[in-house]
Amino acid sequence: MTRDWYHLLPVAGVLAAIPPAFFAPGESYLARIFILMVLYAILTTALNLVFGHTDQLLLFTGAVAAVGAYTTALTAQWLGISPWFSLLLGALLAGGVGVAVTYVAAVRELTVIVISILTLALQFSIIELVNSLRDITGGVTGLAFDGLTIPPLVNLPWFTGDIVLFYTLGVMLLGMLAVYQYLMNSRYGLAFEMIRQDETAAKSVGLNAVKYKIIAGFVATFAIGLVGPFFAQLSGFVSPGTYQFNNIDVLILIMLIVGGLRTMYGPLVGAAIIILLNEQLRAFAEFRSILFGILLVVLFLYFRDGVVPFVDEYLDKWDVKRRAQGLMPGSRASER
Amino acid sequence: MVANTLVRIGALAVDGLSLGLLYAMLGLGITLVFGLGGILNLALGVFTVIAILLVVELTASVPVALAAVLAIALTGGLGIVLERSVLQLVYRSEGDDRLLLGIFTTLGLSIALQGALSLRYTGEFAVPVEIPSIEVFGAFIRGSSIVIIVLSLVILFAMYLFFSRTYTGLATRTIMQDETGAVYCGIDTSRMRTFVFVLSIVIAASAGVLYGLSFETNVAGAFNLTITAVIVSIVGGVTSILGVVVAGVGLGILTTFLSAYLGSYISTIALFGAAIVTLVLKPEGIQ
Repeated sequence: MTRDWYHLLPVAGVLAAIPPAFFAPGESYLARIFILMVLYAILTTALNLVFGHTDQLLLFTGAVAAVGAYTTALTAQWLGISPWFSLLLGALLAGGVGVAVTYVAAVRELTVIVISILTLALQFSIIELVNSLRDITGGVTGLAFDGLTIPPLVNLPWFTGDIVLFYTLGVMLLGMLAVYQYLMNSRYGLAFEMIRQDETAAKSVGLNAVKYKIIAGFVATFAIGLVGPFFAQLSGFVSPGTYQFNNIDVLILIMLIVGGLRTMYGPLVGAAIIILLNEQLRAFAEFRSILFGILLVVLFLYFRDGVVPFVDEYLDKWDVKRRAQGLMPGSRASER
Repeated sequence: MVANTLVRIGALAVDGLSLGLLYAMLGLGITLVFGLGGILNLALGVFTVIAILLVVELTASVPVALAAVLAIALTGGLGIVLERSVLQLVYRSEGDDRLLLGIFTTLGLSIALQGALSLRYTGEFAVPVEIPSIEVFGAFIRGSSIVIIVLSLVILFAMYLFFSRTYTGLATRTIMQDETGAVYCGIDTSRMRTFVFVLSIVIAASAGVLYGLSFETNVAGAFNLTITAVIVSIVGGVTSILGVVVAGVGLGILTTFLSAYLGSYISTIALFGAAIVTLVLKPEGIQ
């Protein structure tokens, strides 16, 4: 197991270095970009796990994040407790939704296209439900939300709300990656791979395909539900617009494909590239959707391998890896 | 009181039927292409909106009826261009791969086209023509609803004749049932795919022009139209041409009554609920 942590160290290092390098008091623009990168990286890693490794294309990430966010905000308000506690409740409920969907999908043996349409319908109906329950959710305008912060830290010199939020999410990203690494390097990863490549063969040797699909579904939706409220923390209110299909699902699909399916660093690289691109094009909102639309088409038609495998291949070609290996005792070439 | 309620129900039924027939046409647009080429065309709604926008543009210089025909033809032309360029790349892959690639490619096209349209068209659009309401037994029935019912019945009946009487129509149904078998019968599947894709776009564009008689829409509404079309197609059994018409009419009437009595949010949720229930209970249709 020890070798797994070598892959997390560079990520931890980069995450730790970002606030001192880029965050400045009173300058929240850059901070927001980096926070969004980490948020989307977590969502994309979740999609990578459930879509990349178990072929269950869940197109309701936005709705699951909304379930997490609204549960967190509303139970904190009703019970008068800190959102840090209700956060867990929100994530569990989101995970419950994921278990229900993946259970039905696995037992009914729904194909990937049926799962995608089913979850797409769920995405739109959940957002519509949030819109309609105006008395509870505040409808389209939403609810004010704040509280996922750590007051003693914010009050320290050098620390701002943004830095605390960034480090909180950074720790969650590392946790997510650690879970991902653990799953991939254990019997779960082998089972996922076997089910993905040939489900019938997997079942014939006694593998409980339903169980593994539900596990992947739960881990992914739990993580999505857990980070959902942080979108609200960033903007200061929970509103259905944040969690729309176009704002979440389309972006993380592009991020996953840009970065590389079934790789650990892929979702991180993809999230960073697409968020940067998104910010660069902020002034040209319409051109942004033209570009993302074309990007989606071109990526899926011509570049389905992603950046990380592409770079990997070139590193292999130039033999960089083998030469670098001597420098890193105990590390093995690639997680692929 | 009772008479009033009956009159209201009657008026709603007419509105529901007109909406239902539009749903049926949109659903048919999805069903044809999915049944024939295995592509779930998530860009369908954009073509519907493009047709409405073209009518709005063209009525500045020509009469409405001519504008409508031109708009439908032009939208069909755009369909040919996209089919020959982008979708041909999708057809290169097979099976599940093609299904996924089709979803992402048409989703991307939808987002890109919507972005391009919103550069120029902001706000709400409808077909600029006034059709007076008519009074039947004290109920005011929207003239546009009557026009929609009549014209969409004509179009759907023409489709029925096409699929049951003509060689091309029968060939289309052969491919939907068994692609390999159709090839053995000497049917050129590639040409038929192009033809049916364009046909589906023309149907969606006609539905759009008729939709624009009764309702206003905006560019962002295109994806909602797509989703509605997909739902109708799924409830109708995805590859059944008759099923999609029945499902469209049924869902149209259902949503009209629900939105009149319980509000539009509930009716939208009911629409999605119908799709979810169908997918969970009878997923065989789409696999």
